[in-house]
Amino acid sequence: MSILGLTFASPLILAGLLTLPLIWWLLRLTPPKPKEEVFPPTRILSEIARNEETPAQSPWWLTLLRLLMAALIILALAEPVWNAQDKTISGQGSLLIVLDNGWSSGRDWDQRKASAQRLLDDANQEGSPVALAFTSQSGQADLTTRRAEELIPTLTAATALPLPIDLSELAEKLTQLESSFDTIAWLSSGLERAGTDAFIEAIRAKASSQTLYYSSDNTDLNILTKVNNSPDALVVTAERATATAGQPGRTTAYDQQGRSIANADFVFAADGKTTDVKFALPVELRNEIARISIDGNEQAGAVQLLDERFRRRRVGLISGGKADQAQPLLSPLYYISRALNPFSEVRESRIANVTEAVPQLIEERISTLVLADIGTVNDETRESLEKWVDGGGMLIRFAGPRLAAADDDTLVPVQLRRGGRSLGGTLTWGTPQPLASFDADSPFAGITVPGDVNVTRQVLAEPDIDLAEKTWASLGDGTPLVTASKRGQGWIVLFHVTADASWSNLPLSGAFVDMLRRIVAVSNGAIAADKTRSDASGSPEGRANAAEVFLPPLRMIDGFGKIVQPNNDAQPLIISAENTPTVTRENPPGTYGTNDAFVAINMFSDTANLQEIDRSQLPDNTLQRGYTNEEATSLKPWFLALAIALLALDCLAVLWMAGALRRRTIQTATAIIMAIMLVSPALVDAEAQETEINIEDTLRTRLAYVVTGDDRIDLISQKGLSGLTQFIASRTSLEPGEPIGVDISKDELAFYPLLYWPVSTSSPIPDTKTMARVDAFMKKGGSVIFDTRDQLSGGFGGNRVSAETIRLREILATLDVPPLEPVPDNHVLTRAFYLLNVFPGRYLDGKLWVETSGTEEEENPDRPTRQGDGVSSLMITSNDLAGAWAIEADGSPSLPIVPPNPTQRIYAYRTGVNIVMYTLTGNYKSDQVHIPALLERLGQ
Amino acid sequence: MALSIGSVAPREVGTEVLARSRARAALIPDLLVEAQRIANTVTSGWHGRRRRGNGDTFWQFRPYDQGESLARIDWRRSARDDSVYVRDQEWEAAHTVWVWADDSASMLYKSESAQVSKQSRGLVLALALIEVLAKSGERVGWPGVTNAISSRTASERIAAELMLASQSATTSFPPLEQIRSRSELVVISDFLEPVSTTLEKISATAQQGINGSLVQIVDPAEEKFPFTGRTEFRDPETGEKLTYGRAETLTQDYLSVFKARRDVLAEHCKRLGWNHVVHHTDSLASSALVALHIRLSGEAAK
Repeated sequence: MSILGLTFASPLILAGLLTLPLIWWLLRLTPPKPKEEVFPPTRILSEIARNEETPAQSPWWLTLLRLLMAALIILALAEPVWNAQDKTISGQGSLLIVLDNGWSSGRDWDQRKASAQRLLDDANQEGSPVALAFTSQSGQADLTTRRAEELIPTLTAATALPLPIDLSELAEKLTQLESSFDTIAWLSSGLERAGTDAFIEAIRAKASSQTLYYSSDNTDLNILTKVNNSPDALVVTAERATATAGQPGRTTAYDQQGRSIANADFVFAADGKTTDVKFALPVELRNEIARISIDGNEQAGAVQLLDERFRRRRVGLISGGKADQAQPLLSPLYYISRALNPFSEVRESRIANVTEAVPQLIEERISTLVLADIGTVNDETRESLEKWVDGGGMLIRFAGPRLAAADDDTLVPVQLRRGGRSLGGTLTWGTPQPLASFDADSPFAGITVPGDVNVTRQVLAEPDIDLAEKTWASLGDGTPLVTASKRGQGWIVLFHVTADASWSNLPLSGAFVDMLRRIVAVSNGAIAADKTRSDASGSPEGRANAAEVFLPPLRMIDGFGKIVQPNNDAQPLIISAENTPTVTRENPPGTYGTNDAFVAINMFSDTANLQEIDRSQLPDNTLQRGYTNEEATSLKPWFLALAIALLALDCLAVLWMAGALRRRTIQTATAIIMAIMLVSPALVDAEAQETEINIEDTLRTRLAYVVTGDDRIDLISQKGLSGLTQFIASRTSLEPGEPIGVDISKDELAFYPLLYWPVSTSSPIPDTKTMARVDAFMKKGGSVIFDTRDQLSGGFGGNRVSAETIRLREILATLDVPPLEPVPDNHVLTRAFYLLNVFPGRYLDGKLWVETSGTEEEENPDRPTRQGDGVSSLMITSNDLAGAWAIEADGSPSLPIVPPNPTQRIYAYRTGVNIVMYTLTGNYKSDQVHIPALLERLGQ
Repeated sequence: MALSIGSVAPREVGTEVLARSRARAALIPDLLVEAQRIANTVTSGWHGRRRRGNGDTFWQFRPYDQGESLARIDWRRSARDDSVYVRDQEWEAAHTVWVWADDSASMLYKSESAQVSKQSRGLVLALALIEVLAKSGERVGWPGVTNAISSRTASERIAAELMLASQSATTSFPPLEQIRSRSELVVISDFLEPVSTTLEKISATAQQGINGSLVQIVDPAEEKFPFTGRTEFRDPETGEKLTYGRAETLTQDYLSVFKARRDVLAEHCKRLGWNHVVHHTDSLASSALVALHIRLSGEAAK
């Protein structure tokens, strides 16, 4: 019995659903627990109506819940099965299963296999003889029929292979078969392959009763076909089989280690089958790319492996001639850069000086350096060039007048004869020479020799025993045109002509571009590549040593587009001049060679022209199907689980209605809230306190002193600043807040304009971190006044220093102390509020030191006050200012003045006022002195 | 299925309530109890009553009426023209007001839409009233707890006494032993006793010559009956339980009975010349206080 894809194994149990109305009636009768309500006017109620005990009905949703539960249980007992499959074959006739396991099968391989498995299972049940053939193993295809169960292991072992499919072989074999099959099941990829037509013909001939045609959905089958490393981006071409509106895709580039480097999205045009994917990356990063694949497309065609061919080399250019922008055609670099630009990144040095340009370019990690007509270089540059060439660099030199004139140039492949020769001139005896054809051993082999190239001048090589070996190209008369020698890991290549058209017209020919490209390809960066040098362009060694190179498989792409270790099927890749390697069964896609130098073989290296199979060509008795991954699912456990979930829900509902849950919830919530409150107060308190202090500090300007840890000194500081605060408040418009002691190692200093720092021998020297804070405070505009309080005890004589002074020096040792001077006569401090010429504290004679404000005094001694922006961030006194300011609670002074002169205390206060005013207003006063002059100018 | 609509609130008494009542009292002007029937209880207060009567302060000159004592003539004034004038003083007198709030179990009820329990609201009202009266110089007392006090701090003292007094919560009407005739009695309660009982007590009180005001405090749930579904009702005083399958069917009957009770009470009060104020606990306490103020000061009659 089947309803909407739902099949019941025991449909009779469904009759139980008829009991639902009964259950409904029963459920309606069970009353819920009443709500309890305190209600004072209950007496009134009792007057109105009798106590009613008839049970109320359950709420409708509870009834529904319970009915649903009962229904689910009944349904579960009836053993429902979702998506039970119909039989795949009918009758007992012989069956041929053709399973496409080519490159595109990785995407839906499991489904294909499941479909094949189902066919086999059905055949097994029917007892039909079966033959199983794989398209990618047609060589071994075996069309003899067997019992189905014998084939199951074969099917289990089969996997998707990253191989192109050729059906013609299978078609031939099928056609040659004497008997025919009742049913042929073709589990196809839906793509047109070689020999598809022939195969369909074979099916038509050999399937006697029916054909089953399974096809993949190819709308999202995308492949990567070509990689092109253009100057601005790495361009990959993506292709698809159907030109219908497909999903946008995304490709990811990976490096050698499989790390993702970059992503690029692509969208096909509405009717386009190909599109370009661009990886616009810096060249270094582009060269790191080893693999590009389409995300989520698990098949061999969606992967492109990159090898050396796809790398862009960075080429540095230096010219000996003057770069003339107005006449580019006369510059040798013009031809070189035009020739190199399409396939490599050209770096032209902006610096004309070779000595500087060479290291700079080497610094930029160039792989090839072109020196056009550069003669001698100094020793240092030569050494760095030699080192670079030894390390694998490719040095290309072009001849020219300078090179020809140079003595003992070591950076050339062959010994050169001084001067060079010219041909075809009036005084020369030879005619201009054409190019000879390239030697087969030369990297230039295969380049078409242009007939119209003439060389009129060249530098000549000294005849040598290995000259022929070093010659890559020569002129018609046999003199070498291009010579090269290997040095260390690198190469030195010399063109015996100039890079511009003055000596020959070679730079104007297409062969020049090809030659440069080959040379740059040799440079490669793959330095230890002699043994396996196998690039299609070829290295001299590879060419010279063997006509054929065997490259062992390195890494393979499997049928699912994954990178795997090579298995035994993969054979070494044979590279020879004649054939370019293609994907075969022996050489599946992957990389061949060694880790340092390898060749990549991809599933597609050029446009693939994917086509879907034209289904109208299929035989008439064809049954078309798609692969489905849905298997028959028993829904019984799900139904039961749902019923149990509903039961739990029902329990909760009942509990809730009875009120049990409510109390518990409230308790739990209370407990959680309590816990949070217990944990948080410390945090909250600390935060609140800090904020409190900070806000208070910012609201009022207040004086601050540094807490030394010596209670006596701190007390005097506190009292002193209080006294000064009172004095300031009574005499000026500034009303500072209560002074505060700060711990310079912890407290935020930014709120205080002035920090009074009594130096005491007992206080520890602040650590560097603290001093860094003080330094920052001073740099940000704060002022610190150090008071050594030792004027009296400091002793006499020029060099006597007290312990406090020593301590002060120790403290200041870590500070960035500006140059200091005693307050000069015309300093702003002398007139910031009061006019002062001494700055006494308890003692009279100590000097107040401030930052020196430069040399303007000498320049302009007439100025009434010294110009100077900003405030001295550092003031040092020894007069014990706080001692003089300190007052007791009743306003009487705390400490006596030395000498006992009451006027001195007044002056001490005035000093304090001036200092505070100075720190707050800066050079305001020094501007004020100009007011008379300004007013006069204004005509007042 | 929701939470219970009503709950039993804890009993409130003490300084916090006093503070709240003071806040309410501050909102209304001093209360001068209407002087119609209380002329005899002459104890001098310190607030003038803005009408003539016994007192020290000059109030007005008025023409002499025939039959008045000649001693009352103000000769100095009369000498200024041809008429004869009498000097009137402003009446300065105090009155005794007894305030009592119900403290029984039913008063502790508080529904979810109410702000406070009925007891709390009643106590606040009572203390606020005492505060206002005391400010006006009236003598205020709480039957069964204190005697009539004439003091500005009467509300504090009474609140303190209330805290100390262990009130037995059984009575729903104040004890009348201390109350002499011609004093004012304010009863704050929910009056959920059977109507006949309440009416009897009121009548008996009125017969003693006591003038009364009833403040009926009603919880919104009692007035609206918002119960639905299967509900078990419990009387907080008697503990009686009643279960109804569908409480909503009772709504109409209950509301009509409840309204009828209130009307009967109001009608009875009107007949006796008493004041009857209904107050809901979801409205502001000061509204009841203002209503009471208006009634007691006789302004409603004018």
